[in-house]
Amino acid sequence: MYYVDLAVTGLSFGCMYALMAVGLTLVYGLLRILHIAHAAVFALGAYITVIVANASGSILLGLLAAIAFTPLFGMAIYRVLYQPLLSYRPDVPMIASVGLLVLMQDAFRIAFGEQGVTFQNNVYLFEIFDIGGERVNAVQIAIVVCTILVFIGLHLFTTRTRIGIAWRATVSQPKIATSFGIDAERVRYLCFAIGSALAALAGGLVGLLDNLVDPVIGYVVSYKALAIIVLGGLGSVRGTLIASLVLGLIESYGTIFIGSWLNRDAIAFVALIVLLLVRPQGLTGVRAP
Amino acid sequence: MSAVLELDDVAVRFGGVQALDGVKISIAEGEFVGLIGPNGAGKTTLIRIVAGTVKPDRGRIMLAGRDVTGTSTASRVRRGLALTHQIVRPLRGMTVLENVVLAAGYRRTANPLRALVNVERRAEIERAAAILARVGLGGTEGKLAGSLPLGQMKRLEVARALAVDPHVVLFDEPLAGLNQIEAARQAETIGEVHAQGVTVVLVEHNLEAVMRVSRRLIVLNDGRVIADGAPEIVIADTLVREAYIGTGTAAHAEH
Amino acid sequence: MSAYDVSVLSVIGINVILAVSLNMISGFCGQISLGHAAFYGAGAYAAALVMIGSGSLPLALLSGAVAGTALGILVGFTSLRVRSDFLAVTTIGINFLFTGFVRKQAWLGGEMGISGIPGSGLGARGNMMMILVFAAMTIALSVYIGRSWMGFAFSAVSEDEDAAATLGINAGAYKLAAFGIGTALAGLAGGLYTFFTQFITADAFDFIFSVMLMAMVVIGGIGSTWGVAIAAIGLTLLPEAIRFVNDYRLLVFGGIMVLVIRVAPGGLAALARRLARGDAK
Repeated sequence: MYYVDLAVTGLSFGCMYALMAVGLTLVYGLLRILHIAHAAVFALGAYITVIVANASGSILLGLLAAIAFTPLFGMAIYRVLYQPLLSYRPDVPMIASVGLLVLMQDAFRIAFGEQGVTFQNNVYLFEIFDIGGERVNAVQIAIVVCTILVFIGLHLFTTRTRIGIAWRATVSQPKIATSFGIDAERVRYLCFAIGSALAALAGGLVGLLDNLVDPVIGYVVSYKALAIIVLGGLGSVRGTLIASLVLGLIESYGTIFIGSWLNRDAIAFVALIVLLLVRPQGLTGVRAP
Repeated sequence: MSAVLELDDVAVRFGGVQALDGVKISIAEGEFVGLIGPNGAGKTTLIRIVAGTVKPDRGRIMLAGRDVTGTSTASRVRRGLALTHQIVRPLRGMTVLENVVLAAGYRRTANPLRALVNVERRAEIERAAAILARVGLGGTEGKLAGSLPLGQMKRLEVARALAVDPHVVLFDEPLAGLNQIEAARQAETIGEVHAQGVTVVLVEHNLEAVMRVSRRLIVLNDGRVIADGAPEIVIADTLVREAYIGTGTAAHAEH
Repeated sequence: MSAYDVSVLSVIGINVILAVSLNMISGFCGQISLGHAAFYGAGAYAAALVMIGSGSLPLALLSGAVAGTALGILVGFTSLRVRSDFLAVTTIGINFLFTGFVRKQAWLGGEMGISGIPGSGLGARGNMMMILVFAAMTIALSVYIGRSWMGFAFSAVSEDEDAAATLGINAGAYKLAAFGIGTALAGLAGGLYTFFTQFITADAFDFIFSVMLMAMVVIGGIGSTWGVAIAAIGLTLLPEAIRFVNDYRLLVFGGIMVLVIRVAPGGLAALARRLARGDAK
């Protein structure tokens, strides 16, 4: 069934966007900065995955390495680029972020070649499961499963653990939280760490799905993630998840209707612009009185 | 005398609370009106309605007889309404003089096309310097507006309000945060502004000061006007005293 | 003057027009626009089609400006509705919308682009002169706007729209004006580019190019016409002069952008002002 096919693709893309966009929405919610360099974090995660996987023979090890190391990179971006610029209007660190992204993409190209790196032994891609008549490969399943686990994990973290609760408080009400003695700086580092780890996971999985990691891997996904966090509302993790899935589905089904006018990537931005014209505060944002 | 500012049956509701309910106010040219009320009475909402940042669900706002409901703040300013903010908002990147010159140039900036063909600033600079001297900011012209102490920033607010040649100025808590000396000076300035024929609407928490300078007091409570008249009479009104009960400010102001 | 020199000067002229016009929108009026390449592209395509259809140089250039400003005012309208950071995302999106649309349309050449565009009749050297004249006019216009009450109002809108409103300034009208003027010039630059290359594809008008234009504005000093013009000249010449830079263009540009923002957010213009004043602040 064609339509179910589209739904499956749409949802798996949506999950990927969600993993990618969570980091962005957290940073935006805390600092009001559009962390465009997040795409570089995503790409770094993908590269670490493929390189470690090829070197060690274990894809799992690759993914773990990516999840372990990219948070350091993400936190470094905060420390070196954003923290010193917090007193300026948010456009300033955003432009720095854009510069960093462009720099990193070129660095990847120079270091690993324009053609990218492929997985030498990507068994998962070719393991196809038949679920209710639909043919899905193991990587798509992994993406969906990971996303579910991640969001459940995040939910538990922010509602059951002390650190998580403190974190959620700071994200939604930064000034009040500090008066309760919560260290805002630590929360920020935590945000960058978690967001980066998730982006790295997403990057690794996308690399597995395409069986290729190239310099522009972060490119389009990250710009869509930007559209998503706008649609999903200020720093709202739940809104981001919903918007990601919705976007994945709109893209899939949208190609039927306007695929002759626009390519798939442009559809995200059409949806964004139409939505902003109708609801300038985003999907879940609140309009100022 | 014609009404320079009028609210006609204005009502607005936010998130389940009726912030203003059937407010009818008419202010004539040359008046000095104080607007008071306990916290949550709706003063801030009223200011926002008059300024144009909030649209009423019902009712009209009129400036000099013209219905301005639904128009933008900028167009109301060009029609003769001036505002000072409780939380001061000077253009911090510009100098004190530039802030007032820009205000004085309101005719030149009426629309982008006119602004594009106008370059000459001498007249506005002269006028701005004179206004700054009048409010006691002579000598600070070259300073960055963001670097001024609060008392001077509040005077800059008044200077900017004067520069747009207003018919009526709405002062939003102009004395808040000032020490006694600064507050007295500021009240004096506002009195001088009034003496020159500008209609003044003063929203203030400082009952003592408002009582002293206003010729007419309007009291808001729970989104409604509960008293409107000469200060001595209004203060003695039982409804008004009830509204303030517990704060003790009404009793204090009497002495 | 060799053909190579003529070519380089032409590109410099076009980049100056683009950077200075972007500065009007993002520098003077504070509306961050990361989509300038789309307006440039719209102008290029419009000029190409009109030239093929009519063979008239002035008409083609005019169409370029009109196309640029039509798209620009559309984007300008979104700036009235949404907050500044949402605006940034929308302008990023315009790049993808433009290239995504163009690549799919056969009448716009699809992936192959439009080739065989008739020449302007001026020859390469004549084109270069035309471009440089327009560049000089753009700089002059920018300096004039900066001195006029429009520039004055722009800086108020840029800093605080609500405060500007209490001074009687209609922020929305000014934002539209900034977008309108800036994008018309970008569209004009597109037309000039079309005659320069006589062959256009969507690749020349992508997000990365928008970023490079913003880099010129940032490095030159947001808001400073001369700073931005000089940065545009410098950043265009750099890859030509230094082979290393040419191969690692994005690396260098990105790196300079980050460095400038971190160390001197006011760009070259602010540095120059500081040196002129002689203080260490």
